Amino acid sequence: MKKAVIINLSPQKIGTSAMLGKLCLDFLNKKGLQREMIHLYPHLKDLTPVLKAIDGADTVIMVGPCYIDTYPADTVYFLEEIIKDQTILHDQSLYGIIQGGMPYVHTHESGLKMLELFAKECNINYKGGFVIGLGAMLDGQSLDKLPNGKKVNRFFNEFLNHVAKGENSNAALYGNAQLKLPGFVYWAMAKGMNKMIDKELKEKDIDVTLPSPYLKSEQPNE
Amino acid sequence: MITVLSDDTNQNIGKRVYEELCAREAEVEYIVINDVNVGPCYSCGGCTDKTYGKCIHRDDGDWIFGRLVRSNIMVWVTPVTWGSYSFKTKRVLDKCALIGDRHYYLKNGELVKKMADNIHGFYGIGVKDHCSDEEKQAFKNLVAENINIMSVDGNAYVLDNDVSEECILKIVEEISR
Repeated sequence: MKKAVIINLSPQKIGTSAMLGKLCLDFLNKKGLQREMIHLYPHLKDLTPVLKAIDGADTVIMVGPCYIDTYPADTVYFLEEIIKDQTILHDQSLYGIIQGGMPYVHTHESGLKMLELFAKECNINYKGGFVIGLGAMLDGQSLDKLPNGKKVNRFFNEFLNHVAKGENSNAALYGNAQLKLPGFVYWAMAKGMNKMIDKELKEKDIDVTLPSPYLKSEQPNE
Repeated sequence: MITVLSDDTNQNIGKRVYEELCAREAEVEYIVINDVNVGPCYSCGGCTDKTYGKCIHRDDGDWIFGRLVRSNIMVWVTPVTWGSYSFKTKRVLDKCALIGDRHYYLKNGELVKKMADNIHGFYGIGVKDHCSDEEKQAFKNLVAENINIMSVDGNAYVLDNDVSEECILKIVEEISR
């Protein structure tokens, strides 16, 4: 690898996706590799700096949050813009990292599949990805804070090792890092999280029994 | 109430599904997604705080979610984009938690969320000519995940633009059932 660009697909510059991007930066730095991180959202009106960064790299790592089971809408827009200018694509390696609130990898894997299909269409090399559950709970804190933090850290480092060597990374790697708990534990988790939500709403004096504010919203032609 | 949300870019399947639903005298609304302006979700947390249950930004989402929250069934018709929804479709879908329940529930031993009580159906219709089996499966998997996390019923289809009338009738029958 000559140079890697890490693209933060999250609207947040400080958060779990940015934290994961930073982990990539630090890891590649330790390996003595050239790397840079760029945030997508500040460049949505003019993607030139992001497209230039892709052009100058031979490895692209896209890291972002999971919104309703895949990357956010603006990732689709971004990929559409990349494919319009095929001159910036020259056999790069592409890796994906996706993190979301639910602890299961199947909830978030569609994001990685989208990157794989994109890579196939524009003849770049998709080399795998990594899925991290419970990412919303972290809110930018280190992976150690996850209940399966040790395992996630170990397998995520293995993933980064593959990236540094330009190797393929198998889905089994993040599958092994997934938090595996029996149903009754998830039931207890749901109870605990719901209690926290209700407490927070009470503190903010929010009445959840009120109808949705959208039931009061106007129609476009009224 | 059935709401058809369609990104009509290079496809008229949305319109055909809507017309067939109308022919069956279903209560149905049609929203053309490619003409609307819905901004990105910035994950600012405003909808769980200052403007509880509503996006803090004012755009076409105001009336679109006003309609969706009154629906029983959502039908999303979209060009298939690398096994996913189109950009415009996904901008609306990304904000669907606005009309959902913030609490967690358990389904088949896993954590899930729920939509507003009246929403019980979610259908994803992807449109792409000569779509590969791999991409069709990717789209169907994504819609299946959406259905699962929203705790609703539904199905996914991937169609060519020139799909037969018989196929449209079959889908409409399933939706209106």
